[in-house]
Amino acid sequence: MTQPDILFAQPEKKTQKTILAANNLSVCYYGENRGIHALHNVSFQLQEKETLGIIGESGSGKTTLALALLGLIEKPHAVLGQALLGEEDMLALQEEEKKKLRWDRIALVFQNSQEVLNPVLSIGEQVEEPLRRHRDLGGKELDEELQKLFSLVGLDYFWQEAYPHQLSGGMRQRVLLAMALSCQPELLIVDEPSTSLDAIARKEILDMLKALQKELGFSMIVISHDLAAMENLVDRLMVLYGGEVLESGPTIPLIENPLHPYTRGLINSSIEVHPYKDLWGIPGEASETTEIPTACAFAGRCTQEIVLCRQSKPALTETTGERAVRCHRGGIISLLQAGAVSKSYKVGKRNIHALQQTDLKLYHGETAALVGTSGSGKSTLAMILAGLIEPDQGEVIFNGHPVYDSKEARQENGIQLVMQDPFSSLSHRLSVAEAVDEPLLINKLGSTEARQERIKEALQAVSLPFDQSFLQRFCHSLSGGQRQRLAIARALVMRPALFIADEITSMLDVSTQANIMRMLKGLQYSRGFTMLYITHDLHLARKVAERIIVLHHGQIVEEGSARKVTEQSCCCHTHGLMEAGLHGEHVHNAG
Amino acid sequence: MISETLKRIPEYLLAILIIITLNFALPRMMPGDPFLQISGAGGEVGDAYTAEQREYFMAYYGLDRPAGEQFITYLGELSRGDLGFSYYYKESVSNMILRRLPWTLLLVSAATAISLGAGMALGSFAAWRRGRRSERLTYLMMVVFGEIPAFLVGLFLLVLLAAGLGLFPLAGAMSHYTQFDSYGAQLADIMHHAALPVLTLSLARTGSLFLLVRNSLGTILTRDYMRTARAKGLTERRIRWRHAMRNALLPLITRTAMQMGAMVGGAVLVENVFNYPGLGQLMYDAVFVRDYPLLQGIFLVLAITVLAANLLADLLYKRLDPRIAAEVKKQSTGPGIKPVGTGGRNEDL
Repeated sequence: MTQPDILFAQPEKKTQKTILAANNLSVCYYGENRGIHALHNVSFQLQEKETLGIIGESGSGKTTLALALLGLIEKPHAVLGQALLGEEDMLALQEEEKKKLRWDRIALVFQNSQEVLNPVLSIGEQVEEPLRRHRDLGGKELDEELQKLFSLVGLDYFWQEAYPHQLSGGMRQRVLLAMALSCQPELLIVDEPSTSLDAIARKEILDMLKALQKELGFSMIVISHDLAAMENLVDRLMVLYGGEVLESGPTIPLIENPLHPYTRGLINSSIEVHPYKDLWGIPGEASETTEIPTACAFAGRCTQEIVLCRQSKPALTETTGERAVRCHRGGIISLLQAGAVSKSYKVGKRNIHALQQTDLKLYHGETAALVGTSGSGKSTLAMILAGLIEPDQGEVIFNGHPVYDSKEARQENGIQLVMQDPFSSLSHRLSVAEAVDEPLLINKLGSTEARQERIKEALQAVSLPFDQSFLQRFCHSLSGGQRQRLAIARALVMRPALFIADEITSMLDVSTQANIMRMLKGLQYSRGFTMLYITHDLHLARKVAERIIVLHHGQIVEEGSARKVTEQSCCCHTHGLMEAGLHGEHVHNAG
Repeated sequence: MISETLKRIPEYLLAILIIITLNFALPRMMPGDPFLQISGAGGEVGDAYTAEQREYFMAYYGLDRPAGEQFITYLGELSRGDLGFSYYYKESVSNMILRRLPWTLLLVSAATAISLGAGMALGSFAAWRRGRRSERLTYLMMVVFGEIPAFLVGLFLLVLLAAGLGLFPLAGAMSHYTQFDSYGAQLADIMHHAALPVLTLSLARTGSLFLLVRNSLGTILTRDYMRTARAKGLTERRIRWRHAMRNALLPLITRTAMQMGAMVGGAVLVENVFNYPGLGQLMYDAVFVRDYPLLQGIFLVLAITVLAANLLADLLYKRLDPRIAAEVKKQSTGPGIKPVGTGGRNEDL
């Protein structure tokens, strides 16, 4: 067993009351003859009026956590740890005692489904049931209370006579909410409040949750995979994976700047956070753990996995800003850092400052787009990052080592740069096989047979033929699209950790461009390299990248998530660039 | 709801018409006729009637006329509420049936109530204890009793409890030639007589209801709304009976109605085993002597009883399943309600 993970240190000021403290909560479901660990050592605290969000893929243990907190997981399944509701440990109580606490102090808004309400009992009866049971209400008092509850969630009272099948999804969600609030619990757990609702109903329910919390002052745990809903609703987020907390922290920083590769994957898969980008899920699927895991739960799907990740389980460690991450590598590592890089060219007697004190950071496994007008220094920066030219000042650190003299381009797991013009980047006198083989040959990587294998593999990856006749064709006989694919294959054959694509599609027709972009993203998705995509095409940038870096006059003027930069840019230049680039002739005077 | 029920009336009328036709045809398809067999029970065909007498009676009762003509006459009499006159007992068929019907109704309704109650209680017990030894034992018992034919169980009970131990009377529905001090004493006597037949019928019927309840509840317990009920901290009693059993009632009602025919059929056999003076026993005698009018009358009354039970179940189902009731109510409640057409009847698992 690992040592307890204390997630959120209790704040110094004792003014706030702790509503719920979960300590090392573990759940194991026992099936036929094996157990499945659905939840493993989850600890957290919830203060009065605080809202905690829990995100994770299906099967990550979110709903199990909710059920465990209510003491609803029964034998033969096992629940370990504590769920302190005030002074009382929900898990240690007798069934009868649990029943008294349920709904009275801790209530659950179940995930909206056809069957969550009893089909043969009227809505009114199902909502008032807990009032009869826990508040001993009856007769007129009960009616009044019921009316109050209905108006609280914005339902006409006559609906109390209706039966569940007569309600729409949105109404059912309201009924579930009214039912959960009936005894005014101190803690409300809301399971997927916004799924299966249309946009309007979804907004209404989310607004209502927020307003009701303000009015009634309950603490709330929201379980959802709807990140956009979370952004507005919860104070803190906890990322659950394979029954473990992988990351936690305040909502906005966590979404803007995830620490764990899994969190980033989740966010990248979320259409709310990336409304324009193509969606790419996290490769692979979570495996069901039948024994207490001894490796990192995310190992196998992670892009920055090292040997240690398979050997021991990382602990949840606190970082800055009340955040914590469970990762042997301390979260997403930065692959490349450029610090105060400057470069100037002499034109006649004038000094042109191509780059001025540029700082840049690229993280493992991400796709960042470097955008800017022509002449902003993009290509110069790309060459410096790849170590092809030396900066006047500053340095570039790749994987912990300084980049110089194109050393990184000459080795495997290094940096590969593919440039704009495939006609001049590939010698037209070389055959296809020679062109791809060149870097391997020069750098003496592998035997002849091994190289042959790698060449075929690389050509296959970029969807080029790899039969003998094609291998022997000369580059000059290839079309632009084919040559660019070949250039990519030549880069891939070196198995780069960082792939810099400098305007690689700008000389191609739109269809070829689309094909190459999809292929490239697919390769990145399956191989997990970091990609710096340099372009002046904002539409394209927004489509492929989760992070956009804006370069202007040799300086980084803005960087952030693609949505933030394209939608709520805080810099005048970026704003102008976005208006012109994304909205075309619809440029209006955006003061 | 009323209008919906009215729509079913033609169906019921058609069913009755078919039954009447069969009732008319079946006795006449048996070998022999009333005046050949009338000479006595036990199959000793005597010559109580001479050929001339037989011809006279056949003509007198109209049995020499073509079947079609007889049928039309029968329909005409029936439409006036006249069930005819027993050839053998020389008595009005209606009177005879009215005298016997209450006993059969007593048996059938008591057995239905007991088997329903027992089926629900045991089924619920089993569903909550699934997999445990007590549940397996109950299951075994129920399957065994459900598979043994009613009359065999009846014979066994009769031999063991009535003849052997003398705990129950051997025959009849009440003690004759006895003065009762009070209605209570009379009632006790009637119950004493009815006990074994009712027990026999109930035992035979409980098995299938038990299985139905157990299996329906087994499914219902896994439904989301049961988890909701538990999360609300409701009492165990409310969870079991209001939330779970209320849902299990729906298939149970359908099954009970569908079994009504078998129940009545069982009653006929059981009455004969226990020599119980109900319609079943009368029917047995009537078959023996080919008493056409009496047979027709009994068949008709029994068939209508079964149909009535079905109608009752239909109405009850509509009251109990809001998903069906709503479809009928939709015009009156306005556009706000969207009935979701769930085949409530498919609940019969």
